[in-house]
Amino acid sequence: MDLTLLPQALVSGVLASGLYALVAVGLALAIGVIGIVNFAHGEFFMIGAFLAYQLFVSFGFDPLLSILFVAPVLFVIGAALYASTIRFVLKAPELNQMLLTFGIGIILQNLALMVWGGDPRSIGGVPYRAIGIQLGDVSVGLVPLGSFAISVLLVGGLYLMLARTPVGRAMRAVAQNRIGAGLVGLEVNRVYLVAFGLSALLAGIGGVMIAVIQSPTPTVGLAYTLKAFAIVVLAGLGNIRGIVTAAIVVALAESLVATLVPNGDALRNAVFFALILGTLVYRSWRKT
Amino acid sequence: MRRRGLWLDLLAAAVFVGLLAALPGILRGAYGQASVSYLALGIRAVGLAVLALSWDLVARTGQLSLAHAAFYGAGAYAAAVLLKLTGAPLWLGIPVAGVVAGVLALGLGAATLRLYGIYFAIATLAFAEVLKTVVKSLPFAISGGSVGTNLPPLFRPVFVAGEMERWEVAYLRNQGYFHVYLGLLAVAIVVSLLIQRSRLRQAFTAVRTNEFVAGVMGVNPARAKLVAFVISSVIVGMLGAIEAHRFGSVNPDATFSVHTTVLALVTPIFGGLYTTVGPILAALVLSGVEETLKRTLSDGYLVAYGVVLVVSILFMPRGLVGLFRGLTRRGRERARADAPRADALGGRDA
Amino acid sequence: MPEPVLRAERLGRSFGGLAAVQDLSFAVEEGEIFAIIGPNGAGKTTTLNLLSGLLEPSSGRVFLGGVDVTRLPTYRRCHLGLGRAFQVVQPFPEMTVEENLMVGALFGEPGASASEAARRVESALERTGLAHLRDTPAEDLNLLQEKRLEIARALATNPKVLLLDEVMAGLRPAEARQAVELVRSVRDDGVTVVFIEHVMPVVRDLADRVLVMDYGRELAHGSYAEVTSNPRVIEAYLGEAHADSGPDADGGSGGEG
Repeated sequence: MDLTLLPQALVSGVLASGLYALVAVGLALAIGVIGIVNFAHGEFFMIGAFLAYQLFVSFGFDPLLSILFVAPVLFVIGAALYASTIRFVLKAPELNQMLLTFGIGIILQNLALMVWGGDPRSIGGVPYRAIGIQLGDVSVGLVPLGSFAISVLLVGGLYLMLARTPVGRAMRAVAQNRIGAGLVGLEVNRVYLVAFGLSALLAGIGGVMIAVIQSPTPTVGLAYTLKAFAIVVLAGLGNIRGIVTAAIVVALAESLVATLVPNGDALRNAVFFALILGTLVYRSWRKT
Repeated sequence: MRRRGLWLDLLAAAVFVGLLAALPGILRGAYGQASVSYLALGIRAVGLAVLALSWDLVARTGQLSLAHAAFYGAGAYAAAVLLKLTGAPLWLGIPVAGVVAGVLALGLGAATLRLYGIYFAIATLAFAEVLKTVVKSLPFAISGGSVGTNLPPLFRPVFVAGEMERWEVAYLRNQGYFHVYLGLLAVAIVVSLLIQRSRLRQAFTAVRTNEFVAGVMGVNPARAKLVAFVISSVIVGMLGAIEAHRFGSVNPDATFSVHTTVLALVTPIFGGLYTTVGPILAALVLSGVEETLKRTLSDGYLVAYGVVLVVSILFMPRGLVGLFRGLTRRGRERARADAPRADALGGRDA
Repeated sequence: MPEPVLRAERLGRSFGGLAAVQDLSFAVEEGEIFAIIGPNGAGKTTTLNLLSGLLEPSSGRVFLGGVDVTRLPTYRRCHLGLGRAFQVVQPFPEMTVEENLMVGALFGEPGASASEAARRVESALERTGLAHLRDTPAEDLNLLQEKRLEIARALATNPKVLLLDEVMAGLRPAEARQAVELVRSVRDDGVTVVFIEHVMPVVRDLADRVLVMDYGRELAHGSYAEVTSNPRVIEAYLGEAHADSGPDADGGSGGEG
């Protein structure tokens, strides 16, 4: 184990946690406010990535610019999906919901495969991609730093929105007490619509950033759905506040394994998945 | 009363399998060279039926498993590694695959006994992904790392010039595989029927509906769930091994692909859960649809499965079998006894 | 002296910091009808859950016919003769009445043959008067029929002890009388009955002995007359505005029933 790499691993982990928190918080919003465990969440992320890619390739849009475009588009997609399908299974058993969102995820993933094929795509030609800062042993890429900053802004903005704005308060009210919220006149369905659109939007923006950082394929959605789950489960379902901490823990774990463990890079995904499995199993046996 | 029902069912199954066994010959006589690709389609349909039946088995105890691809892949790799590292006889890989998958299922099933509904699903999905990654990281000498390794085919028909046409080599190979797949399907059908006609059916349904009340009635829920899980995995593990022989190779991404799980769960949901006929019927229909789609859309034809799943959940909660049963009164009654119950899926209550 | 058929020894169960049941000990003799009463929140249902194995006790032990079953899972207690009917009826909704009973009949006694099970199902159907409804899906039953199904299902497991949780709730007086008859006949067939009840006249008619619980502890025990004239019991119930708080009390406000 090469411990000189430890500082780099820590920094990379922290920087990556921003993006993970962003994706996870969107899922937490769907689960906490609407009560639906959205297996297609990662696909919103993937669509964001590929939309940004296409905008770059067809029109030369800088990814930062694409965010402005991708955000509303993903919101509309999320809202439309909610209104056309998800709305109808809210009263159904949660396994039906799971299967429905799973099916939606399959559709989205395969539509993307049809349009873009299975090869990895990346927004490679962006000028600032190669820029980095060197701080002693640690090199900090501008792009990871930027995505961290954007994610922090967005997650922070979401927290603010939930705490201060009427819309956010409505969402929190609905999350805490669906029936009660309806009784005091909140139009619950509209709140759900906005929440779902918002969750898609957040994931989509995360996707734009990953298109610059890595080279995603249309199949990347599932992995990110699971990663978001890992964080949400770790924080506790419905706990939106704990997401940030959980994201840092998970991102650090992944980074440490990737950097310090031999052959760790291949195992980095397994870290997430083992974490979910372990946490769920451990917690289930701890209750009496 | 139940005994007579069982024998009748088994007889019907025997006739069904027997007819299918004769299919290759019929196709060859009718279509000659074209029969090779028809048989290939037949193989895929039967494979899908096995996949669907095996997933349905574990769903009967209320466990909606997303780990199916893991056991399929484990079986495939077990056979591949066995043959690669030892001088074992060719056909030994298949039962070994079943055992390996079964043991794996025992472990996962035992660990997840206290997980229900979505948590169970997520945990099984996570397990599948972990297994894929682990296999990818195994030493190259053992399993070929991320590239994978080859397997010998089960059938190597020899071309004898002058006594046969060239295409008959491929035909004989496909015929051989078709019969092997059919054999596995027969096993899956018999298992499914035996369960449906024995007290296991009550146990499984009770556990699925409400595990705690089932316990109060004297049913051992852990044992029911594990039995279902292991049997299901043994079957799909053997399927994985057979398919690996047919494809000639295994590699982590393809062999452990979540597509297998998708096929495994969409098919019985579409056809009708907790029945024997449903998964088989749906497999035949969906294979045909898939074949047509594959010609028009190469990547992403799986989108059809997504659409089928969404449509089934929204409009056909009881699947095809439920649609047909709605036509007869007796069928309606039986459908109600079998169908998944609204608040019972994910069944915990206390 | 013969071993009591069911015994709780210093049973306790806490949720978080709150003790739902504390230091509860009692013994039920074979063939008696034993009532557990007490104000809402006294821990009565928790006690039944502890006895049947749906909850693990934080302390104490449960004995079934002299056997320590505290660590045994629910299904094993069923095999040893413990039957349970729930307050909120929980049939297997899509199965018919007969199939519901079949589950208990097949699995309630280990090694039951199919014909034995069928016989037990018949017998349970007869005793609870459900024979004519045997092919009806359980979700189509009305409340009284559902309650009978609960009891029938428990009977199909061939219990030595039957735990009943507020079977009278929601029943009209005529129906309640039928239920009382049913419970009596069950006991007459040799099954010991432990039941929770709020409807006092039923307790008065049926119970051989009564245990009064409050705040998770035993408040009093004895015959119906003894406990209902116990001043501490009356005081515990006064806060509930309960109708029948003494042997002579009659009518008064309906209380929570």
